[in-house]
Amino acid sequence: MDITFNIGGEAGQGIDTIGDLLTQIFVQVGFYTITVKDFESRIRGGYNFTQIRVSDRPVVAPVEEVHIIVALSKDAIIGQRDRLVDGGVIIFDDSIVFNDVEACHFPAPLEKTAVDIGGDVRMANAAALGAVLSVIKFPFGLAEEALTNIFGRKGEKVVSGNIAVARTLYDMTAEKFTGSCSQDLAQVKKGPSTDRFIVTGNRALALGAIAANVKWVSSYPMSPSTSLFQDIVANAHRLKIGSLQTEDEIASILMAIGASYAGARSMVTTSGGGFSLMVEGMGLAAMAEVPIVIYNAQRPGPSTGLPTRTEQADLLFTAFSSQGEFPRIVLAPKDPEEGLEIAVRSFDLTEKYQVPVIILGDQYFADSAMNIAKPNITGTKIDRGKMIGPKNISGYERYRFTEDGVSPRAFPGSEGITVVSSGNAHLENGHITEDPNIRDTMVEKFFKKVPHILKDLKPPDIFGPKEPDVTLLTWGSTWGAVFEAVETMSSRNMSVNQLHFCDVYPLQTQTLHEVFEKSKKVISVEMNATSQFADLVRMKTGLTVHHQINKYDGRPMTAAWVIRKLKEVGVE
Amino acid sequence: MGDPETEGGRSRVITIEQLRGPQRVTWCRGCGNYGILAALKKAIIRLDVPLHNLVISSGIGCSGKLPHYIGGLNSFHTLHGRPIPVATGIHMANRDLKLIVHTGDGDCLGEGLGHFIHAARRNVDLAVFIHNNGVNGLTKGQFSPAAPRGYKSKTSPPPPGAPMDPVNPAAQAITAGASFVARGFSGDQKMLTDLMVRAIKHKGFAVVDILQPCVTWNRQLTWNFYNEHTYALEEHGHDTTDRLKALEKALENGDRYPTGVFYDVQKPVLADGLALPEDIPLKDHETDLDALQEVIDGLSL
Repeated sequence: MDITFNIGGEAGQGIDTIGDLLTQIFVQVGFYTITVKDFESRIRGGYNFTQIRVSDRPVVAPVEEVHIIVALSKDAIIGQRDRLVDGGVIIFDDSIVFNDVEACHFPAPLEKTAVDIGGDVRMANAAALGAVLSVIKFPFGLAEEALTNIFGRKGEKVVSGNIAVARTLYDMTAEKFTGSCSQDLAQVKKGPSTDRFIVTGNRALALGAIAANVKWVSSYPMSPSTSLFQDIVANAHRLKIGSLQTEDEIASILMAIGASYAGARSMVTTSGGGFSLMVEGMGLAAMAEVPIVIYNAQRPGPSTGLPTRTEQADLLFTAFSSQGEFPRIVLAPKDPEEGLEIAVRSFDLTEKYQVPVIILGDQYFADSAMNIAKPNITGTKIDRGKMIGPKNISGYERYRFTEDGVSPRAFPGSEGITVVSSGNAHLENGHITEDPNIRDTMVEKFFKKVPHILKDLKPPDIFGPKEPDVTLLTWGSTWGAVFEAVETMSSRNMSVNQLHFCDVYPLQTQTLHEVFEKSKKVISVEMNATSQFADLVRMKTGLTVHHQINKYDGRPMTAAWVIRKLKEVGVE
Repeated sequence: MGDPETEGGRSRVITIEQLRGPQRVTWCRGCGNYGILAALKKAIIRLDVPLHNLVISSGIGCSGKLPHYIGGLNSFHTLHGRPIPVATGIHMANRDLKLIVHTGDGDCLGEGLGHFIHAARRNVDLAVFIHNNGVNGLTKGQFSPAAPRGYKSKTSPPPPGAPMDPVNPAAQAITAGASFVARGFSGDQKMLTDLMVRAIKHKGFAVVDILQPCVTWNRQLTWNFYNEHTYALEEHGHDTTDRLKALEKALENGDRYPTGVFYDVQKPVLADGLALPEDIPLKDHETDLDALQEVIDGLSL
């Protein structure tokens, strides 16, 4: 079983509600889902969709074919028509005037039934659900149980109303829908998945950051990062997290740096445009060795670009931005589950090495949801790095030279200790200097940290055979589409593997050398026009990929697209 | 607040020796900054705050170097125009800390003007001392955002000199929502020390616009000029709780500059509106992981 549903309509029509409902039902019944959101940068109107892929085995990327479309507007009826499979069905409310009705179309009285049976037009969502389930012959009993759970918190009336509306449409569709649907789930039982936690990349990062004891988050809203900040704010009062929407991203990062200097784990959230404004502050954090976690949810640029679309084109910008030279860490989660883990790790890394850590997400990662095993965060351990002990306060100097370049931290407010920091070149005691020898030692202090950081990073993963004909080189959220492409190609007896990086900078080179040695051909696959990761690999290792595959239309990658592109370079 | 053993204890007595600067001062001879530094030291000695709970945040320029000329204090010498947001973050992480911002007119009223306005709007509990000399001194005398219209410099040659009106920091602070706004003069130590003490003690966003000559670059705003063109507000019976009157006085700049307190009221501070723990500093708070797990459980199907 592998079905994709597409719920389309205008912004503000409730696409998400129907989509969430469908996802929740299939998750409750034990299936794997991945939900992607495709929307325009507008509050009302336009054409947006939520697309849900449901399978009885784990799915990690969207697909191109759509089996069932629920259209809430005329645009949505025709919007994905060319992606509908043979035997696919388009369900829409019969109040939409649409004259080119084909066999695949099913106009249904969704809103009318919601009002007549449920007494509330909002139950049109349940009506749509009933029609969808009926078309695919999904046993209503399975859905009913799930719906009871989902609406349970809202009271008996809501539960019974929604179920009655869904049931009415379910029966009516069975009777009136005369077309045929390629999907027949009449025999379906509960699925194998026990993963009941539906989470987006942004939410996973937010929860991970809170588990890591983030205490200060200052941000300015910017798509597609905003939902992370909103999740923090939503929990701020209950969990005591200082959070503030600032006048701009410059203030965001500087407040966070201040809070971190004073001892609070601090984070900022933004996208590329906001990160551009934060770069000056990031340099201050680097010079003053103040820990900071920066989340950059990438979107296509330059400038405003495509605010609600996806791209991986900030990698080199992120790795090299700011004047001067200093170490930093860039982590790019492949999916929400890894996001949760990265969020905790990023705070440990920034405090252990006192260098900026940038989490590089993108709109696809940020907004897409998967169901994963419910995380248990109660045992989260954190490592705040070197701190000055109470016995060593005499003569404390914030930038004391050490073997590994990391000086023990202390926070202002401690009696007997003076914490002096500066964005200027400074002495061990934090006061400014222009002494060339001190300058040398301070720069060397920065870079003494790098070997230790490299040892602490998570090595890249290899999926598939060790000595293949072709290696696909990936990083960040494009993992899923390429992973599925590798699976498909392997099932066709092709010799392909995937080398994937989550911890992208500083670059870990050893595995790269091994893979280039063992693989006949290495091909980079990236969501950008210039193969930035492949460039980074060449810069740091001298190794050059044999082909580069690039996608920069702002839409998420699929396995089918990867396979088509590989064909173009002779890999099939 | 703070360690009870030090409350009223020996460590509360701060001496001038403790405050001796760790570095040799690089300001020009006769610079107005000396008066500001001297007044700050006097104010700190007079304050009833343990030294380790004071933090100076400074920007870039001659004023920005002040943390290196005063000893025993925590400090963060930040970026051009940015000491206010850094100070805001420090204070939010630990409200036991008293934040003193030293910033110049070039620093605070140019690149930093947005932060200044928004910090005033938030009424965040900081004391902001603006070293206002009308020039960008450290970059060698270009006109600053506080330079008078027509001011001649290498980047504002005549005619017409500086082709714009100066920023009026006191008026900006009053309109933006600051709850304590004053003007001092580097040449009047007694008044400046009083204003600093009041500003640091004030709960809320406290601004002292400090007139100071730049003896190297500014031929217009000199010691003599200020001595002749300033007068004390309180001698003329000013009501510091009347916002419109305060604004009127702040806008009076021209032939005569009023000094003293323009405006002094109490109103909610930023920290009142944030989700900060009440009993301990934010920096020491540990998120209840069981409570977070409940949030996660609630999100799970």
